[in-house]
Amino acid sequence: MPLLSKNKAEAVNEFNQYVKPVSLWADAWKRLKKNKMAVVGMWIVGLYLAVTFGAAFLPFYSYTDQELLHANLPPSTRPAGRVAVERLESRRGELLVAMQASNREDLKRDLDRVNEDLDRVRFELDRDPVHKRVYLLGTDYLGRDMLARTVYGGQISLLIGIVGTITAGLIGIVLGAIGGYAGGWADNLLSRFVDIMYSLPYMLVVIIIMSMFKDSSNATVLGIPLNIIILFFAIALVSWLTMSRIVRGQIISLKNSEFVEAARSMGAGPGRIVFRHLLPNTVGIIIVYSTLQFPSFIMNESFLSFLGLGVSAPYASWGTLVSEGVQGMQLYPWRLVVPATAMTIFLFAMNFLGDGLRDALDPQSKNRS
Amino acid sequence: MSRFIVRRLLSIIPTLFIVVTLSFFLIRLAPGGPFSREKKLPPEVLQNIMRKYHMDEPLLNQYFRYIGDVLRFDLGPSFRNKDHSVNELIGKAFPVSLHLGSMALAVALFLGLSVGVISALNQNKWPDYSAMSVAVLGISIPLFVIGPLLMLLFALRLKWLPTSGWISSRAGWATVILPTMTLMFPYFAYIARLSRGSIIEVVRSDYIRTARAKGLKESVVIWKHVLKGALLPVVTYLGPAFSGIVVGSVVVEQIFVVPGIGRIFVQSALNRDYTVIMGDVIVYSIILMGANFLVDVLYSMLDPRIAYK
Amino acid sequence: MTDDVILQVKDLKTYFKLDEGLLKAVDGVSFELRKGETLGIVGESGSGKSVTNLALMRLVPVPPGRIAGGEVLFNGKDILKMSDAEIREVRGNKISMIFQDPMTSLNPFLRVSTQLIETLVLHQGLDKKAAKEKAIEMLKLAGIPAPEKRIDQYPHQFSGGMRQRVMIAMALSCNPEILIADEPTTALDVTIQAQILELINELSERLGTAVILITHSLGVVAGMCDNICVMYAGRIVEKGNADEIFADPKHPYTQGLIKSVPRLDRENKQRLYSIPGQPPNVINLPDCCPFFPRCERAMDICKSKYPPVSAVGKGRSVACWLYGEGK
Repeated sequence: MPLLSKNKAEAVNEFNQYVKPVSLWADAWKRLKKNKMAVVGMWIVGLYLAVTFGAAFLPFYSYTDQELLHANLPPSTRPAGRVAVERLESRRGELLVAMQASNREDLKRDLDRVNEDLDRVRFELDRDPVHKRVYLLGTDYLGRDMLARTVYGGQISLLIGIVGTITAGLIGIVLGAIGGYAGGWADNLLSRFVDIMYSLPYMLVVIIIMSMFKDSSNATVLGIPLNIIILFFAIALVSWLTMSRIVRGQIISLKNSEFVEAARSMGAGPGRIVFRHLLPNTVGIIIVYSTLQFPSFIMNESFLSFLGLGVSAPYASWGTLVSEGVQGMQLYPWRLVVPATAMTIFLFAMNFLGDGLRDALDPQSKNRS
Repeated sequence: MSRFIVRRLLSIIPTLFIVVTLSFFLIRLAPGGPFSREKKLPPEVLQNIMRKYHMDEPLLNQYFRYIGDVLRFDLGPSFRNKDHSVNELIGKAFPVSLHLGSMALAVALFLGLSVGVISALNQNKWPDYSAMSVAVLGISIPLFVIGPLLMLLFALRLKWLPTSGWISSRAGWATVILPTMTLMFPYFAYIARLSRGSIIEVVRSDYIRTARAKGLKESVVIWKHVLKGALLPVVTYLGPAFSGIVVGSVVVEQIFVVPGIGRIFVQSALNRDYTVIMGDVIVYSIILMGANFLVDVLYSMLDPRIAYK
Repeated sequence: MTDDVILQVKDLKTYFKLDEGLLKAVDGVSFELRKGETLGIVGESGSGKSVTNLALMRLVPVPPGRIAGGEVLFNGKDILKMSDAEIREVRGNKISMIFQDPMTSLNPFLRVSTQLIETLVLHQGLDKKAAKEKAIEMLKLAGIPAPEKRIDQYPHQFSGGMRQRVMIAMALSCNPEILIADEPTTALDVTIQAQILELINELSERLGTAVILITHSLGVVAGMCDNICVMYAGRIVEKGNADEIFADPKHPYTQGLIKSVPRLDRENKQRLYSIPGQPPNVINLPDCCPFFPRCERAMDICKSKYPPVSAVGKGRSVACWLYGEGK
């Protein structure tokens, strides 16, 4: 049987055609690699994961250190002290002009403060290493480094996405598999429940829950702020619905197929059928759906944070940062643009990766050109 | 068909009941109340207020009283906004939100379908690539990012459009543009992708090959034979799109200061204005379930294979 | 003799550009079809018989497909060089098709009446009322009971066999000169298959339509066809009169095919013959006879060069090194 030879070099037929048998996964990987956007997406997602979770080992400034003299500095490659001095000088110039023009005494106090700050920065400029800092992406209203805040904000956002996807995935797979395989009253009960949950305006319920527990944000459980835990549960509790529907549908359509009949005829029990035959055949669609759901977790969390109902200080997520950035966007646009861009690029990459995975793993698309 | 409609409409009632019950207890069981955050009131004044709103009674009594009121279409007084009833507040805000939402949905549908058809017919050529890149962008950017960015660009920098307000304000109809564009963007993007994908799939199907083998013009093939089948997934998506727009309008109204029920909702949730939250939840639930119902009816009208008994 | 040739296919080539390489689905196919003749094209799945006929109507999906060369002369005019408007005049009117799967070949979202009427309005210039009458008449001809009532139904309300009858009614409604039937019975129950074939046979005879019948079943061909083309790996390996080929097959592949048909007149205990091995993957196939690994009479030359077509008797030809100058 030369066609089934294990030796790769011999896997050639009479026509010198290469006939190496490919597994589903190798085939999918090959197709994924051919999709340029998906590969770019994969690299970007990898980079984000590495930077955000390796942030502690990378030379970022602290994301909590406030340096009021550096408040609202624009992005620059020069030391912060110099940028601050320049800005204070131009501010003083503006004030002097304004005072001469309108003879406004009330501006005198502003001028005094600017002079005071200016003296302080100039004095500290070469003594305090703080002024040697370089804020590549500017600072926020408390003089915190936007780069560090965006990276650490990403850490929270990604963490919520990952944990949420895993929880929702586990609940959805287990309940979907049970409903789909068992059928009968168990399936009926679960489906009814899912239907009702579906028709609830669930994001609104989450908004209510979060606003109810907003005041208890100081409490912690195991060192994790209570409101992050509640947020997490609120989102995860409803997001398993779609996963369970998908898994249920897959299981039902597979459970009556010939290969399952064959397994059953050879005496395989329900456990073996579900775990060895049914679930492995749904892994593709589970992966695809999880990849597509991951960004929606991040979006939902940020949505709540934007409304002031999500993660609260000292923690910050991308949503919190965007929401803070909106406050001063006319004068300090980088405070909005930096976290917004970081978040958009990640979600963009995630979507391309998810699309690529779907095309690669969905057997229906296999024969398409 | 009519029996299906009646049964479908009746099934809304128990779901609505569950929503109301769930939200009622969820809100009441959470710590704090509508008056806990104001300055410390003297105990006897607080007592009076509590009695006035029947909040000194057992929770279950309050629940049944509330259900009774709702059945008489009375959503009660607002706790925070003492001059207005919840009916008045929502009655004033609802048309604004309805206007914004339906406009966003209409624009998303129109633009999404047009872009989807054009992309599908130019598959893998530059109009397709550029349209689909915009579409992925639309799906990737959250509303609360695109909204402020649009505002920053068109209102604050270019000063073409007003930053906030609604039609009755000084800026007039121009106020509608930015909120609508923001709210419709993700749904436009999704509809464009969805319709493109399903058109491409239908074009490859056997029955389109039959239509071509009959000698029909390509335009007839597309408009008569492809579109009807290809639009079904879009119709199915209208339900989720609608609820997405409802939730999204909460943020958009917040960003652009639109006086709709979304703004009221967030304010009342933060203020613990119990009756207003409940009223909002009821209105939202009815809208969402009504929309899903309409989508089901529409679907059954488009797909002859579905027969409702 | 050549006067009544209505379709002449010369050296037709259709390639598909796939990720794995160039797939030569049809690689130099030539045959003729005469007025009123029934021509069978036989081959295993993947032998290129369906693509050949899609290429005749220029219905091969482009890309990834491409008609790479050849001529398809319909009444002397090359279909491959026609303008879009000209070819639409031919499709459904002069040449019409029936496809393999009646379950998916009718548009599920349009009434049967709509689908029948549009062809008649388009090609016959009838108004809608006249077209509907004609459509009902065609359905009756195709053996659909109560056609006045059924015509306003949707395809899903018909069974598979009934849908194929609708397809036949639709295909024949404009009195085409050629009917291409692409495995018209493969997807149907065995009892229905014979009825459908009988219907195609009867109607084509009555209307004087030439038929190209594509099938993988020699049994179907034996009963219906005047002439046969046997296809293997994108080429015609044997061609000629049906009776003669059945009596005296020349190509080893044809011989194998005929031997593998179960027969009642054979001795009881004899095992049914089957051709060993699998048809080749035609992507990047080297220059050789693609049948040699399965051929009992393969020679060295078969592995290095594709055999030329040699005439063997009147109107018969075969592509095999056992015949002609190779001998």
